[in-house]
Amino acid sequence: MTSETAAAERPNWRRYFAWNTDHKVIGIQYLVTTFFFFLVGGLIAMLIRFELIQPGVDLVDGTVFNRFLTNHGSTMIFLWVIPVLAGFGNYVLPLQLGAKDMAFPRLNALSYWLLLTGGLIMLGSFFVGASESGWTAYAPLSIEGPDGQSLWAVSIFILGFSSIFGAINFLVTTVTMRAEGVTLWRLPLFVWGMIATSISVVVATPVLTTALVMVALDRMAGTMFFSAAAGASPVHYQSLFWFYSHPAVYIMVLPAMGIISEVLPVFSRKPIFGYKTIAISSMAISVLGMTVWAHHMFTSGMDPRLRLPFMITSMIIAVPTGVKIFSWLATVWDGKLHLKTPMLFSLGFISMFLIGGIGGIFLAAIPIDIHVHDTYFVVGHLHMVLFGGSVFGIFAGLYYWFPKITGRMYQEWLGKVHFWLTLVGTILTYIPMHLAGLAGMPRRIVDYADEFTDLNVLASIGGFILGIAVLPFIYNVIVSWARGPAAGNNPWRALTLEWQTSSPPPEHNFEHEPRMDHGPYDFGHDLVTGTPAAAPASGD
Amino acid sequence: MRERTIFLLILVALALIGVGVLAAVGLDLMPTAAADRADAVDQLFRIMIGVATVIFLLVEGALVFAVLRFRVKEDDESSGPPVHDNLSLELVWTLIPAIIVVVIGVYSFRVLSAIEVTAEDEMVVEVVARQFTWEFRYPEFDNLTSSQLHLVVGQPVRFEITSEDVIHSFYIPAFRAKRDATPGQISELVVTPTELGRYPIRCAELCGAGHANMLSEAVVESESDFEAWVENISSLPDDPTEAGRFVFEKYGCGACHTLEDMGTTSTVGPDMNGIGQRAGERIEGMTAEDYIRQSLLDPSAHLVEGFADGLMPQDLDQRMSEAELEAIVQYLLNQ
Amino acid sequence: MAAHEAGMTHKSEFRAGRQLGLNHVKLGMWLFIASEVMFFGGLIATFLKYKLALPTNEAAHLDVTLVGANTFLLLTSSFTLVLALAGLRDGKRGAFLRNLLFTVLLGALFLAGQGYEFSLLYAEGVTLSSSLFGSTFFTLTGFHGLHVLIGVVWALVLIVRGTRGAYSADNDLGIEIFGLYWHFVDIVWIVLFTLIYLI
Repeated sequence: MTSETAAAERPNWRRYFAWNTDHKVIGIQYLVTTFFFFLVGGLIAMLIRFELIQPGVDLVDGTVFNRFLTNHGSTMIFLWVIPVLAGFGNYVLPLQLGAKDMAFPRLNALSYWLLLTGGLIMLGSFFVGASESGWTAYAPLSIEGPDGQSLWAVSIFILGFSSIFGAINFLVTTVTMRAEGVTLWRLPLFVWGMIATSISVVVATPVLTTALVMVALDRMAGTMFFSAAAGASPVHYQSLFWFYSHPAVYIMVLPAMGIISEVLPVFSRKPIFGYKTIAISSMAISVLGMTVWAHHMFTSGMDPRLRLPFMITSMIIAVPTGVKIFSWLATVWDGKLHLKTPMLFSLGFISMFLIGGIGGIFLAAIPIDIHVHDTYFVVGHLHMVLFGGSVFGIFAGLYYWFPKITGRMYQEWLGKVHFWLTLVGTILTYIPMHLAGLAGMPRRIVDYADEFTDLNVLASIGGFILGIAVLPFIYNVIVSWARGPAAGNNPWRALTLEWQTSSPPPEHNFEHEPRMDHGPYDFGHDLVTGTPAAAPASGD
Repeated sequence: MRERTIFLLILVALALIGVGVLAAVGLDLMPTAAADRADAVDQLFRIMIGVATVIFLLVEGALVFAVLRFRVKEDDESSGPPVHDNLSLELVWTLIPAIIVVVIGVYSFRVLSAIEVTAEDEMVVEVVARQFTWEFRYPEFDNLTSSQLHLVVGQPVRFEITSEDVIHSFYIPAFRAKRDATPGQISELVVTPTELGRYPIRCAELCGAGHANMLSEAVVESESDFEAWVENISSLPDDPTEAGRFVFEKYGCGACHTLEDMGTTSTVGPDMNGIGQRAGERIEGMTAEDYIRQSLLDPSAHLVEGFADGLMPQDLDQRMSEAELEAIVQYLLNQ
Repeated sequence: MAAHEAGMTHKSEFRAGRQLGLNHVKLGMWLFIASEVMFFGGLIATFLKYKLALPTNEAAHLDVTLVGANTFLLLTSSFTLVLALAGLRDGKRGAFLRNLLFTVLLGALFLAGQGYEFSLLYAEGVTLSSSLFGSTFFTLTGFHGLHVLIGVVWALVLIVRGTRGAYSADNDLGIEIFGLYWHFVDIVWIVLFTLIYLI
């Protein structure tokens, strides 16, 4: 089927609002829904930066501010970054494997509807007294919080199931549904990223469930899991919480790194450097990521002897991460670089994540962590890796796969405007935060000492730029999806299987049985053999 | 050509190391160092800044160079060389970061061991955190309490930190010292202040509406000044206004209440300006004096609309002496 | 098209799984069980942490004999389930359905026994909110009981479908998947019984 035919047979828009088991429909449902939550979280961020542009309590009081910061974090983590990457996985993974759909299409649809339900419940909690104890919800503060805290816990409980079911689907699909020729060492690196993430999701998410069940029971059933009066240890909550929440940050970055690994070779016209090393590093990061959690607790009064092992594991994890950065650098080195929007965001990812990753080493060093824990140094670091990292990767993926998903090409100049505004905004917002933290500004405060004013002004201006930056993206998506030029099967001349079928793909993904005869990034072989790289058998 | 490349690379390497050293020595990113631990931490920090600068400039520099050098026109359809890997290169860039990380790890551990060591002649100060004030108790000085921390320069201190309600975190940036205050648990923190001065104390764990206001000050002074302070703070001033201010300060009322006379501006609790007048009008038949007194001893009794229950300390009846209570009541009646 | 929208994928798509000798539904169930292990792990870790840190004499109220008998019932239910699957594979429909029913009954009896133990404890003042022991004990065993309940309902559905001929020697996957779940729930109970009642 040609892309023209596919576009003409474009499915009815109504199917996106109903129960549908086609992974491509579910993928779009995920991408659009999570983007909406991104805007909600972003709006809250604008309010926070508006309050913090000057010292003094101006816009809102301490209580409302605490609700802002709690729900900004919760929305961005649980309703945007984690599920949008699952959305990419949903759309792209079966196509890259040459499969007709996911292993469990109905479970897949359920995962989406659980996401929507959980998300609406979390938004609903705003109306009954939103949670105000941070996305981290430490006991005992979270035990005493308003009613919305219980709804918040329920919503995350539901979202956990969505996440775990999705991970099971990705793992089983990858193991059992690969097309002919899609061997282990020919799996696209995005698939490797999804596998690594899914392992962490399956192993770590249930422990968050445990922690939140205990919080909910302490709040509603009179249990004493975190009651100091009963002899319990509030710090125990932190152990359970971080056992999940540290792997969560790798859950949020590994698929994004996978996207970078997809985009760089295509726009450098060169194989990915160190394919096997990158694949193995992803798995290593996922496993190692489950051994570092107590580095969030260095000042908690935990047994001092236990701090050292966690410092060691936290530093070790820098090695596979560094290896990836160097491999990406070697990929673009001596390539033929086409600086289109997906490539720009990928290069931006590398630069920002480099800063964020280096900041992580500082935090792993316990004496330094003691000074900067729970200060704006951490806020700067986490946003560098989550925004400068994951969100840059997400946008790279959105632009990269936009033509495949919609059959149309976006407007490149708008993409570039979006990129440059985002890059400038990211640097301006989050570098000053590192400096404020070093100078002693705690996090989660509605008011601060005068000495921190200049840095906060810079961060707020940067934040507003980030808010504005999203506008060209939204406009681009709407206008291009409606009437952009037809993109064709493979506008990027990529070699992975999703590009060997029409844009958008037909219902069953491939007209003819797909197969892979070469690696996913085998660019440049025409230089050696004199013949173009063998294209995999496809419809047209 | 090769010699020129090697020469250039050496030049770049030297330049990078130069910038790294400059960054390590020249950048002043930490606040004043006022304790022995601060000096040790700052040295570790500077070295890490130097290393980080070199790494960042190297990698980012290579990236920017590559982007500028290797970009091609849109219609260029050629491919780059089919290079998949290079074992020796990958080994080098795995081992070097590993070594760097090990060195930093070992050095960090040594600094940690050095700064968390207890001394023999420590002064013990109990730190009690509660929403939203700090209380410092000196068991060696007849259990005198204060909302302001006074320390003797050069005198090692062991803080024994706990909380009465939720988790807080005792943080003195100038000392590079922080430890959580957890209910039901006593956490220890050892410091030796080395510079005279006044240093902010901040709460570093979200603890509720007044988290940003949970502030105090560490006053590092000479032994004689410290002893003078101990003398002064042990007894209420004679002058009634001074006595009232003394009690207001001691119990950290300013963390939540605005009062022009004390220069405090927090809005976590009701405004105290004009309370002398308002207190008499709040409850039918209750005098201003009784109202103020009862509001201190039983805060939930007469909650002001718009303010949550449970934010005001509930145990002032146990902590305040009768003289202190009388002093603050009389003082507030005049506000 | 209709087959696709009904959510059924054609068997030829699982060729990679068949090459590896892995059934996708079984693999999915194993992964789900892995997540359940982590969930119970968190609850068990909490129970043990407090048991070691805060010794209490409330454990004296636990009725080891009663719950020991209950444990025997649950273990037997795993055995009857093995017999049921064997019967199905041997083509003996009667044995299959009968043993599946025994599994349901034994599971239900286990739940009744747990309920009785809970009521005895409550009568003696050991409740969810009476102490940390109560909190950890009832949460841990309560969630286990919930999993047993889900299993009992699931097995009832299987019996209804079984009587309508949904399963055969060639089509035993549904029973096998339930078996994985039920045996897992049983093993969790063995761990719980040991840590709570025997140690």
